[in-house]
Amino acid sequence: MLPAPPWSRVPVALLCALPVLVQVTGRAQEADLAERLYQSGERAYAAKAYQEAADTWGQLLQSAPGSAFAPRALLGLARLQVEVNHKPEAAMPLLDRLKADHIRTPEAAEGLLLRGTLLARQARRPAELKDAMAEFNRVIDLFPESPAVPEARFRLGRAWRDQGQWGRALQLFVDAFRLHPDAAVAPRAMLEAAETMDLLDDLPGCLRMLQRLRTLAPHTPEAGEAAWRTAVRVKHRLQKQPLTNEGSWPAGRVKWLRTPTLMANAPDGDLLIYQNDLDHAFRLHDGELAPAGPAAAGAKAMAVSPAGEVWLLSKAGLSRDSAAPMPLNGLGAISGAALDRWGALWVADAKTPALTVFNPDGASRTVASPIANALAALPTGGMAIASDADRKLLFLDADGQPRVVVPYGRDLPAPFRNVVALASDGAGQVAVLVDGGDFGEGVLILDPHGAVLRQATFKSLGISGRITSLALDRSGGLILCDRRNDLLYRLN
Amino acid sequence: MRLRRLLPFVFLLSLGLGAQDAALKDTFLQAKALWATQGDREGASTRFEQVVATLSPKAAALDPTWAQVLCESYNWLAVLDDRSPQTKPRAQARLQALIDLNPDFEVDRTLTSQRLAALFDRLRAENYAPVRLSYAPEGGTLSVDGRPGSPQARRFLPFGSHKLTYSRPGYAPVDLILDLASGDTKAADFKLTRISSTVALYVRPSGSEVLLDGHSLGHAKGQAGPDAAPLVTPLGLRPEEVSEPFIIGELAPGKHQLELRAPCHRTKVLEMQADLATPFADHTLEPIRLDPSKGTLSVHSDWPGGELFLSGQNQGPLPVAQLPVCSGPYDLLVRFPAGGFSRRITVEEGKALAVEARPKPRLAFLGLEGELEFTGRARLLSLLEGLGDRLQQVAYLPAHPGETPQEALARVKASREAELILSAAPIPGKVTHQVELRIATLEGEEERLLVKPLEEDPLGPLVARLNAVPPLHEPGLDLALLDLPGEPGPWVLSASEADQKAGIQVGRPVTLANGKPVASVQALRQVLAAAKGTVTLSQGGPPVNLPVQDQALELPLGSPALCYPAILARLRLDYVGAKAGAKGDEANLIRMNLGLGLMHFRRYDKAIEQLRDARLGTASGVSQGTLDYHTGRCFLRLGSAYQAEATQAFRQALKYPQATLLGPDGPLVAPLARQALEDLK
Repeated sequence: MLPAPPWSRVPVALLCALPVLVQVTGRAQEADLAERLYQSGERAYAAKAYQEAADTWGQLLQSAPGSAFAPRALLGLARLQVEVNHKPEAAMPLLDRLKADHIRTPEAAEGLLLRGTLLARQARRPAELKDAMAEFNRVIDLFPESPAVPEARFRLGRAWRDQGQWGRALQLFVDAFRLHPDAAVAPRAMLEAAETMDLLDDLPGCLRMLQRLRTLAPHTPEAGEAAWRTAVRVKHRLQKQPLTNEGSWPAGRVKWLRTPTLMANAPDGDLLIYQNDLDHAFRLHDGELAPAGPAAAGAKAMAVSPAGEVWLLSKAGLSRDSAAPMPLNGLGAISGAALDRWGALWVADAKTPALTVFNPDGASRTVASPIANALAALPTGGMAIASDADRKLLFLDADGQPRVVVPYGRDLPAPFRNVVALASDGAGQVAVLVDGGDFGEGVLILDPHGAVLRQATFKSLGISGRITSLALDRSGGLILCDRRNDLLYRLN
Repeated sequence: MRLRRLLPFVFLLSLGLGAQDAALKDTFLQAKALWATQGDREGASTRFEQVVATLSPKAAALDPTWAQVLCESYNWLAVLDDRSPQTKPRAQARLQALIDLNPDFEVDRTLTSQRLAALFDRLRAENYAPVRLSYAPEGGTLSVDGRPGSPQARRFLPFGSHKLTYSRPGYAPVDLILDLASGDTKAADFKLTRISSTVALYVRPSGSEVLLDGHSLGHAKGQAGPDAAPLVTPLGLRPEEVSEPFIIGELAPGKHQLELRAPCHRTKVLEMQADLATPFADHTLEPIRLDPSKGTLSVHSDWPGGELFLSGQNQGPLPVAQLPVCSGPYDLLVRFPAGGFSRRITVEEGKALAVEARPKPRLAFLGLEGELEFTGRARLLSLLEGLGDRLQQVAYLPAHPGETPQEALARVKASREAELILSAAPIPGKVTHQVELRIATLEGEEERLLVKPLEEDPLGPLVARLNAVPPLHEPGLDLALLDLPGEPGPWVLSASEADQKAGIQVGRPVTLANGKPVASVQALRQVLAAAKGTVTLSQGGPPVNLPVQDQALELPLGSPALCYPAILARLRLDYVGAKAGAKGDEANLIRMNLGLGLMHFRRYDKAIEQLRDARLGTASGVSQGTLDYHTGRCFLRLGSAYQAEATQAFRQALKYPQATLLGPDGPLVAPLARQALEDLK
């Protein structure tokens, strides 16, 4: 066979290369189109034309699923579902696809973080945090240089804290602000680290960390949080000054309420007051009352969600909004209620020898417990309950297991008989409204281990009304509501 | 280097020339003596020939003394040659050479025969015409065709047209044009008109700059002649110690300010009264003496191997103590085996200046990679070249022209002339919008930064990062303080035993610091930062004096405000200095932070090398426990093979329950180490 003449080789080579050249040109065009589609979607998103953004990115994913802009589009769509449409379930398939098809891209780190965050939000008990934690760990291990890492460390720390693993949580919070001092999450991580130190019984460390946060990030919301958390801890646990009655509160206001019976603290620190005669709760802000939450006649307990929603519990059931109350499994003598970190509502009933926990989906379970006359949430994720029958205060963990047991009257000159109400301040202190026995009517403030920090009888304070509820404020004071005289007192 | 090698030869040559001058003069004198006293014509001729052979090749550049010697030698040789029949024909050539050299020279008519003198006159008249000159006043300068010279009563000028200018300070110069032809004998009479006063100055030292009303007039040069003796002797000076007179001409009417400056001397300013300017006259001021102006300079460094250079002059190795230095500004440079130190200093008269030289890391710019053209390339390159002016914490070495970044890298690595390298690479795209700047240590720790060539200050972030140096200490007290609402000042959470003994009460606020109200922890920190040694605190009772301590800090990691390669380079230099200065704990703290910096780059094995051998003598705050904890973290990162070492390190850390991370108010190490041990089980 004769070799082909040299002049014929060039066209042959060109013919052979043609498919490759066409393919290369096609790819370049596809990449160009993908970039323009992505940018168009980005512009629409910025202009709040969300549907247009979703359509454009969707088109990108259809026309160029393998382009470098596909993972960005997937992440953009997932964020749109979460932040705009509030449909996290719709974001999950997009994030799954991002994880499966584009794990090597930088967007995968953000996707894994978002996926982990959504999984953590969905979790209803500690064991359900596993998948979320795996995603956070992937971000840290696979993308150590990614800007998503500080947030992943922080969220992983929260997950460990929610599982009661405070040592591990502290490690991650510390790493979050130590290794990423300029990250947006650093002040939050410092605040969580301080709170975790308190849980680990390192009060000086907690206070030093709160001060450090105030020094390094003085203008952040976390610094404001740190300020009151420092103040209440120092006042109650270190200074422990005797309680004194400042009189009616706000100053000089008497007979201004209509049978106040319940009180609670909103997440921002405002006081919520349920007025029995008005069948409604009110938010006290800058001395003014504003209605809050649904109407409910004869409410026996009040709970506040992390978003600030007021939930009222009465014989009719749980009132969360204007809809009909949700029945509470026939609980007829409700004595206290609080929401836990998982969004579950813990309800104490004075005639039921157990606590009933209602999950957000409506399902309920019972937690073994003596009959509880009062209930308040603890920063550990557990609850504090008072059992008059057993004459004990119990600090339960997140699983309902008693971690601290405080006999009525311990550390006091005389025992009391009943606990009327419990309140907590989110910084570890628990306030107890008591009556009966040799101690009589009065209040106690306990530390996270149940030790009495401050106490006083109403007789010694000169209070003679009928006190039905109490709340700890953010300045280290204690607010009492007097249903007989329609006013509030502040103890300092 | 080449110049340095040549210097000894130049020195020897100058010595040789000086010696040759003396020998030549001796030869000339010997020649004259041989003929005059011994009648040795041959010996005299030989020596005059030697003089002519040496001087004639450089006749045009000879100074007047040597020109006179050469002229006389020609004259003598002509006379000697004329005496012998064999050499007689050469006599005319000697005379012609003499006329060519200086037509104004007059042969010695007592020595030269009448015939020979007539020959000389005839030869000169073939090309030159005599001009008689008169000057009023005398003592000025005569320029012939632009060449200045001393005014003479008679000049022989070549045939043709000539411009003669006679000038003298304080007078208007006069020009004359003379056309000379064969046989002409012309006269030129210069009469100058006075237009201003003149002032003559004798200045010590010679070389001083003379300024009149702020404008430089030149420098007073040379040495005064013996005629200045009557002026300078009464001042205890010798004429050669002052300059030749510096004449200030054209002195405008009115007062003037005369200023005299000389290096290493105190500047002198004199007021010249109006009577010096009018009426017009020639004045001579009393000789002006500038006083020497010196200070002393001491340069010390903890870093070994430093060599001091003052404005480029080598002053020898450090330490330099009490070096007498002329007052004035200098560029002080200290060269170290690694790192460099430079500073602009001003030595003040009579004062001692002490400088502590602390070497800075050197950053070598390797250049812009590739030939890719993009908008803003020239601007970016120009900004990169001028980067050094904006950097305070590193010494900047610009790129070498014509060298590729690869060649520059090879050069820097071979010479170790820099600790840091900077390179720039455009990011390719349809349009180049970004350039990647890479900063790395020679050991390989690297950081990258994207800049946009067209933004207002593309190098601003880089400059800010390179100039940021995190402190390794902060001034503090052994107190934990809190800001509490309602309290008048920082509230004491805890205090050391010593502070409590001194009078500090836990649980009470500090209200005064150094006698001034202090409202917050931040305000107290500011007081401590400005305090020297101690601070006086008051909690409402008697004031308490407490020592302000340097408390150790950890290097902040992961901060986008810092350039970690530069920090590592600096720490490496600092470590050398601290070690040489026998500052043990300081060196070990630097070492620990070097370890942290390496952990930032995930070089855990290298970090362990630093951490394992460091020992801190303190037990609270950033201390030995901190160091052990980081060692454990590094071992953990190296994998399960080092589990035992990690366990050991965390156990060690637990022995220091007061050890903290970050700083004295940072989280305790112990719970973190405990958890790490728990996780290792």
